[in-house]
Amino acid sequence: MNCSNWEERIALYAGGDLQAQETADVDRHLADCEGCRDFAAGLKESLQLMRSIHEEPVAEAHFAAVRARVMGELEGSRLPWWRSAWAYGFSAAALALFLILTLVPRRRVERPIRAEAVREQGIPAIRRDVAPAPAPLHRVHPVHAVRHQRPLPILPVSVPPDPGPPAVVKMLTDDPDVVIYWITDNSGE
Amino acid sequence: MAAIDSSERDAKAGTAAGDLAAFELLMRQYERLVLVTALRLLGNMADAQDVSQEVFLRLYSNLGKLESQNLSGWLYRVTVNASHDLRRKRPATDPMEFASDVPAGGNDPQQSATEAERRRVLEMSLRVLSEKERAALVLRDLQGLSTEEVARVLGSSEATVRSQTSKARVKVKDFMERYFRRRT
Repeated sequence: MNCSNWEERIALYAGGDLQAQETADVDRHLADCEGCRDFAAGLKESLQLMRSIHEEPVAEAHFAAVRARVMGELEGSRLPWWRSAWAYGFSAAALALFLILTLVPRRRVERPIRAEAVREQGIPAIRRDVAPAPAPLHRVHPVHAVRHQRPLPILPVSVPPDPGPPAVVKMLTDDPDVVIYWITDNSGE
Repeated sequence: MAAIDSSERDAKAGTAAGDLAAFELLMRQYERLVLVTALRLLGNMADAQDVSQEVFLRLYSNLGKLESQNLSGWLYRVTVNASHDLRRKRPATDPMEFASDVPAGGNDPQQSATEAERRRVLEMSLRVLSEKERAALVLRDLQGLSTEEVARVLGSSEATVRSQTSKARVKVKDFMERYFRRRT
């Protein structure tokens, strides 16, 4: 076919895409041109073959597979809270924490920091030039002080003796400009 | 592309109310449109099913926003875009693979072989097209949309669609002629 300028129009003509006037123009040209008639016939034939293959039914199983995948995804995303995996995990963790807190014996012993207690115990290792211990971090309520005078309950585990509050030791040297401080426990070590 | 009818409206309303059975009905109405379009654009059933799944999940998420829109047009547009995205992620595979994707309906082996070959011819002829030519041809000549509808789905002008469609038809014709001449 030498009529390359007709090619696009004939391709549109074969698919029924031309307006009435353009269709009439192509019809006139085809009547005069055998090459273009063959070209148009080939286009129509290939289009017809394509359409007939396209119209063949697709197996229902393919549609069903897509449906199952989509519905599975949607149902999975709409599970009630008690069916979600994270809810099971969270519940198990919460139960384990509850059991640990309630069944395992308490090992913690309160360690009150009291200025009075320090004074009662006395710190023999500390000499005259030892500075007083720093003020307790918490103010002691009188009621609490009374409570702590009661003997501690006997615990099933051995508890190390309470070292008491730390003391600050001040050491004077010959040089008045040099003073050494250090922090020690009540044993003087 | 038909406008939303009453059954679609019911299905949409049911889906919006959380009724998955209503959504399944809606999916059944459009599953051929989505799956077959994706199959023609991608050339193999596994990819087409992946795209279909994505399209219907997007439909479920966006159903409330599609009240006044043409649902078919929306589905075509999302299917074409999802297919192009997938094609860029997964390059095309061997066209021979397509032959076994869609089992033939009959029990006659001769007939099955012929049908498989016909599908292979269609698939191979679509492969000679560019991405845009293929989309235009599939929507216009196989799915039967008008040029105006194809332009709307592809987001291009009607003149562009006409040009892409005519080039695609010529390429497919040339391929089929070469294929069958070699066979005879």
